[in-house]
Amino acid sequence: MSELRKRGLQAAVICSEPFLKLGKNQARVFGVPDLPLLLIPHPLGGLSLEQVEGRAQHAIPQVVELIKTSFK
Amino acid sequence: MTDLSTLLKTQGASLEADDDFDAVNALMRERGWSDGLPIVPPTAQRVEQMLAYCDRPWGEPIAKMAPRYGEATPLRLAANAVMAGCRPEYFPVIMLAVEAMCEEPFNLYAVQATTHLCAPLVIVNGPVVKELDINAGHNAFGPGWQANATIGRAIRLALVNIGGAIPGSGDMSTFGAPSKFSYVAAENEAQSPWEPLHVERGLPKEASAITVIGAECPHNVNDHESITAEGILTTIAGTMLDAGANDLYYDAQPLIVMGPEHAKTVADGGLSKAQAKRFLFEHAHLPLGRFSQENIERRFRVTWKERFATAGPEAPVPMVQKPEDLLIAVIGGAGKHSAVINTFGATRAVTRALKTRDGRYAKSVSDFRK
Repeated sequence: MSELRKRGLQAAVICSEPFLKLGKNQARVFGVPDLPLLLIPHPLGGLSLEQVEGRAQHAIPQVVELIKTSFK
Repeated sequence: MTDLSTLLKTQGASLEADDDFDAVNALMRERGWSDGLPIVPPTAQRVEQMLAYCDRPWGEPIAKMAPRYGEATPLRLAANAVMAGCRPEYFPVIMLAVEAMCEEPFNLYAVQATTHLCAPLVIVNGPVVKELDINAGHNAFGPGWQANATIGRAIRLALVNIGGAIPGSGDMSTFGAPSKFSYVAAENEAQSPWEPLHVERGLPKEASAITVIGAECPHNVNDHESITAEGILTTIAGTMLDAGANDLYYDAQPLIVMGPEHAKTVADGGLSKAQAKRFLFEHAHLPLGRFSQENIERRFRVTWKERFATAGPEAPVPMVQKPEDLLIAVIGGAGKHSAVINTFGATRAVTRALKTRDGRYAKSVSDFRK
C-alpha cells in the first residue's frame, strides 16, 4: 500500500480500531505517514457473511469520500 | 573501528541520567524501554565491556528489526544486553540470534505484530553451549540459569526497544506469553541418541549454532507407561492433535522436544530421527469432523478445495504437511516427558552458525574478542 501511495496513487488501509495504532506506526515506518486509515468496527474474524457485508457498508462511504478528495 | 566515545556523540546514541540505579530505572520505565522488570543501567563502560566480544563495526547495522525496522547495530544490541544482565561473552550468540530472526523466511514482522502468542525461541547447539553454560537439562526452558535467562531477555529487549514490539501498537498479541520475557534453551547433545539439530540442518557437529523458531510455549507430553518407540510416539502424536493450532493452516514446522528418556526409548526401538518424524506425521491426524462446522465450510472446503471440498467427517486432517517439516530436538533432564511446541505457522525456522568475520566457524566466543 505504501508503494502505491509513493507512486502517487490514492491508496488506503482499512482497519479496525485496535489496529489503528499499529497502522499509523507502520505507515510512518514505510514513509507514508499520511496514508489514510479507514476505520471499521472490530472484529474482522468470526463474522457471519451478513456481518462482513455490514463492515463493507461501513467502509464504502469512506472509500467514496477518499476517491472524491483525490479528484478535487 | 570507530571508538565508543565517538559513536556515543551521534544523535540519540546516548542520554544523561543521574548515576543512580533507581533514577535510571525510572527513566527507562517512563520511556517504555523495559520489559517491566528492573534493568541494569547501560553505562558507557558496561556497553564497552559487552562490545569487547564483537568483531564487527559497532555502529553498522547487522539487521533491521520489524515492525519498526529499527537498525540493530552492535552498539544498540550491546546496550540491551547490558540492560538484560548478560555477561559480555554471551554477546556473539545474541548478535547471531538477532541476525537469524531478521532473515526473510522467519517473517519477524508477523511474529512480532501478530495477535498469536508466539515468541522467537532460540535453540543453541555445539561447543558454545558448554562454554557459556547454557542449560540443556532440568528446567532448560525455565529460570535459574544466567545464560538462558539473560540471552533471551536481551533478545526480547531488542525486539521491544529496536524492533518496536510495544504491546498494543507493534505487538498485537491477544495474550502474549511468559516466553516473551526470555526463550532460550540448549539441546542436550550429550544425552541425545541422534544427530544434533544443527547437524540435521546442514552444519558440521563442531560448529556452534542457533536455531530460531517463532514458537508457542512448550506443551507437555506425559508418558510413564510406554516402553516402546511406537508407544512413546503414539502419545506424542496424540498430544500434537490440536484443532486450534496456527500450524494447521500453513506449511508449519512444529518442534517436538523429546526428553532424553523418551528419546532413548524411541532410538532403542531402532528409529532414526527421520523415521520418528514419519511416524508422527502418519499418526498426527484429526478427523475433519472434530473441527467446527464453520471452520469446515469456510476454511477447509475453501482453502483446500482439492482435499476437502466434499470430504466426510472421517477425512484425516494432518497436523503437519510433510514429515520433514517436523523439527526434533532432545532437551531436558530426567523424567518421562516430552513437549510439543507449536509455532506461529507463517514462519520458517532459521539455523545459523557462529562464524567470525572471515567466515570461519568460531571455536570459542573468544574468537570474537577484539
